[in-house]
Amino acid sequence: MSTTVDAISRDGNPDAVVVMTPDGLVSHWNAGAHEMFGYTAEEALGRSYVQLVVPQEQQAGEQALLRSLSLAVTTREALRQRRDGALVYADITYRAIGDPDGNVEHILSCEKDVSDLRVLRLSKLMDARFGQLLESMPDGIVMAGPTGRILVANSQAERLFGFERGELRGKLIEVLLPERYHAGHVGHRSGYFDKPRTRSMGAGLELFGRRKDGTEFPVEISLSPLQTEEGTLVMSAIRDISERLKAERKFRGLLESAPDAIVIVNQAGHIVLVNSQSEKLFGYPREALLGKPVEMLIPARFHDTHPGHRKGFFSGPQPRSMGAGLELYGVRSDGTEFPVEISLSPLDTEEGVLVSSAIRDISERHRLELVLREKNVELEAAAMAKDRFLASMSHELRTPLNAILGFTGVLQMRLPGPLTEDQEKQLQTISSSATHLLSLINDLLDLAKIESGKVELSAVEVLYQDVIAEVASTLSPLAERKGVNFHTHLPEAPLTGFTDRRAVSQIIINLINNAIKFTDAGGRVSVTLSRRLEHDIGFTDISVEDTGCGIREEDQVSLFQAFSQVNADAGQYREGTGLGLHLSQKLAVLLNGTIAFKSEYGRGSTFTLSLLEKK
Amino acid sequence: MARILIIEDNAANMELMTYLLKAFGHTVLSARDGAQGIDLARQERPDLIACDIQLPKVNGYEVARQLKATPELAAIPLIAVTALAMVGDREKVLAHGFDGYLTKPIDPTTFVGLLEQHLS
Repeated sequence: MSTTVDAISRDGNPDAVVVMTPDGLVSHWNAGAHEMFGYTAEEALGRSYVQLVVPQEQQAGEQALLRSLSLAVTTREALRQRRDGALVYADITYRAIGDPDGNVEHILSCEKDVSDLRVLRLSKLMDARFGQLLESMPDGIVMAGPTGRILVANSQAERLFGFERGELRGKLIEVLLPERYHAGHVGHRSGYFDKPRTRSMGAGLELFGRRKDGTEFPVEISLSPLQTEEGTLVMSAIRDISERLKAERKFRGLLESAPDAIVIVNQAGHIVLVNSQSEKLFGYPREALLGKPVEMLIPARFHDTHPGHRKGFFSGPQPRSMGAGLELYGVRSDGTEFPVEISLSPLDTEEGVLVSSAIRDISERHRLELVLREKNVELEAAAMAKDRFLASMSHELRTPLNAILGFTGVLQMRLPGPLTEDQEKQLQTISSSATHLLSLINDLLDLAKIESGKVELSAVEVLYQDVIAEVASTLSPLAERKGVNFHTHLPEAPLTGFTDRRAVSQIIINLINNAIKFTDAGGRVSVTLSRRLEHDIGFTDISVEDTGCGIREEDQVSLFQAFSQVNADAGQYREGTGLGLHLSQKLAVLLNGTIAFKSEYGRGSTFTLSLLEKK
Repeated sequence: MARILIIEDNAANMELMTYLLKAFGHTVLSARDGAQGIDLARQERPDLIACDIQLPKVNGYEVARQLKATPELAAIPLIAVTALAMVGDREKVLAHGFDGYLTKPIDPTTFVGLLEQHLS
């Protein structure tokens, strides 16, 4: 009977009942102990009670206490550690049982978890002491003791985690954590009380809080110990960093979307941020770059001078390109160098001014530049070959023409003897055809030289009256032979300009030649020199007017094209190469001038060369 | 009437100039290349030399250099008759020591007269 009552009072007791040997080895472990500490009787039996449930730093003291127990009852409140690492406050009654001589045979320990009561007590105490202070802080603040129960939470913390006012008090701090962290956290927080100091939590890790509704959010937490007469407490300041992470992610997205490698360096010259383009460009993984001196990306021969330049930049930071006019090089992880172009800009951040450098590999551009240079040399050689070709063309074509025109002339001069009328007519045809061929050659060569930009103009001071008079004197015999009246109208006041005399002459010759050519006997060709102001800009106009056949409207559009000579009447042959106007137009452009014309079919045409009057 | 040396490698052109000069009563000496031309000039001391530029063996520029460097020949009028008729050719030819410059094709009606202007 008494055995049964004993058993009931021992095993049916809701409190933990543990019996141990004088050495502290567990000899009995009831269901209440299982419940309270988490160990089963099988696990606990035979093991050291102290090692099993007493927090490590208190084990020595507890061991000493057990050894010194007299046959009496000791009651006190102390921390106990559960199997899962959690600390609980226990109300503990030790009773040593022994023989009448005072030798201890068994130790009986009755323990009751009083955490709830204690937390309530502490909570009230702390709230009274710190409540108002905590309310004034911007961050969410949660205060807890070794058992992990929340003693005080300010309203910022409650709002942050979605709890009602006062709802957090007494809850295990793990209620604020995603479940996957619960097990680990119990160990961490118990460990914190072994070495309490102010620090941020989970340095380098991403931390998450968990709201009452189960949603998670990124947080930053700093921990500080708080010494009270009730023991050490821990105060955690919790900040929601969703917004900051979002901004950071945006910034990072921006970095990643940049086409260039971007390396951000702090004032000490250490790399603080890189994008993945940097990893690719330099051949290092991100981790190998972060925190390293930026000089690792620069060829060794620049290592001495670079830190100086770097400091120089921070002394007056503003966006600019690096080493303007210099050839810059980067160096890859395998030691190979490559040419780069770098632009720098300062970056104002919480961590002070950083410098962001955008780095572009310009190997390809360098290669293209080299190719282009080579091509240029080739082109120059080709241009020279073309010049030589033109010169020898001119020479080779003129040589046989010399004999053709020369002997034709000899015959026409009747040096070998008299000619019949037919012979004379035929020799005239040979002569004019050969002369035509010569003008074609001349015009074509001139054109080729203009097209290849080989015409060298030398501007000199010219008196236009002189130029026109000179041209007129060479061409008036031609007009005379044809029976065309040829006049010049030159103003009294000298008209001068700064231009290439030969080119101007050539244009006027072409225009007058054409006019005479397309005007029949009895017609009139006149050259007029005048000055004209247009929007305060002075122009010199040289107009060649004829009373010739004129140009049909449909032919006017193609007038300046090469070989576009129009025949006034089908079959009517006009001397000329068909290159004259084309050539004149090109020359006029070289002189910054224009050739304009108006023409009425059957009435005549006027061609006007307009030249800018400089100075 | 004058003794005129023609240095010209093209047979047709040689024939043309020879014919024209003879027709106007001059005596013609002919050389087919520059070296022969210089030799003839030394031996014959002509009154005038008409010389092509592009010549085999010794070109016209070299002929001019050697003739003008020889005191007893330097005074003989040396006229270039050449198909080098592009811009700048005239200046280049005269700079090499020629006393006159005529371009091919020549005008047969004026050719002899132009040469005669150089005869004192």
